[in-house]
Amino acid sequence: MDFDYFSIDAILAENQKIQCTFKHEIKNMGHLAGGSDRDIAMLSKVQIPIWLAYTVIYSDWAEFNIPAPFGSRVRNALKAEPTSVRLSNLVGAGGLWYGFGKTIMEILSDEQADEMSDALVKAFRGRLLEVIDQAQHFAALGHASGGGASSNTAQSFREGLDTTERELFALAQESAKRTKQWSERR
Amino acid sequence: MALPQSLRTSVTPPELELVASQLLIEIVPLISMEKTAFISGAYGPLRPPNKAKIPLWMAVNLKMKKKCHIVAPEWLNVDYLQDKLTQETTGPSFSSLPFRFTEIAKVILDVASDDVENPDKLRSLLKDLREARQAKSREGLKTLDHSELSLSNLCSMEINEIRPYFVQSMSILTQLVRNPGPDPLRNP
Repeated sequence: MDFDYFSIDAILAENQKIQCTFKHEIKNMGHLAGGSDRDIAMLSKVQIPIWLAYTVIYSDWAEFNIPAPFGSRVRNALKAEPTSVRLSNLVGAGGLWYGFGKTIMEILSDEQADEMSDALVKAFRGRLLEVIDQAQHFAALGHASGGGASSNTAQSFREGLDTTERELFALAQESAKRTKQWSERR
Repeated sequence: MALPQSLRTSVTPPELELVASQLLIEIVPLISMEKTAFISGAYGPLRPPNKAKIPLWMAVNLKMKKKCHIVAPEWLNVDYLQDKLTQETTGPSFSSLPFRFTEIAKVILDVASDDVENPDKLRSLLKDLREARQAKSREGLKTLDHSELSLSNLCSMEINEIRPYFVQSMSILTQLVRNPGPDPLRNP
């Protein structure tokens, strides 16, 4: 996960939509809201992708609310038990929850951004150990018995991994598998 | 890049074994040979029954042709490893072992298990050591942050195993942390 200009991850992360409330009436831009209206009315709420929202928000045409995947409900759930939250459900399949959070962080005020960063870091660290543990567990199982015996919580945790964590899972699994193969050779 | 993700961050265990094979080891030759020049240096002469120091790869080659006995390094015996295992399971830090002990021990046990005492016991001790140390590097993961991590006495094989995901996790954390503090490496 990086935020290079050419990074595909960054582009995908910016593709998430956030809700903006327009402060002014904007002529001839009704298509942004997806409806058939010609203009965007004042105080109308429109879902626009982040890459577009940057300009709109910085130009002070609209303000935005922190989107639901980072709302207080999710934050409280993460605070209670990081591994119980299914991040992939929050941002859709192939979604980058952390990447999304990072992009939101950049348009927030300092104080809110610090809070957000704190929440993201805590969530990541809280889930990391479980990600690696499971990756190593699956590397040890090998191909034959791919996950028949795993419990329900473990499985639902795996399904709830966001793309960033999935990559990490694959890395750890591959690495553990390679080392195991080597030490069992001959 | 066309390299698979997993190969970009670390080398493979067989490559580490290759590196470890350059280290010198003592043998008791069964043939005599004049001092011979190789690309990495000149080794020999071999005069049975005097001991000689040659690279591990050469010792393995001679051993397979039954032309030498390999003398196990002083750390490759039951007492020493048992001692280390006790240290490992009682103390919080990693016990100090030779940097490439996993590779060397495996190569010797594979080709010259008749030259060491009690190879089966050694194998199980090495396995126990590996597991005890793995549990500790897992503890290290808990204290991971965006700027540094210190796990001293970790050996090459272990570093190589954890490198891909430790590095990745740290780079993710770097992205998530706001205003990361000054880089500790840049301050003298």
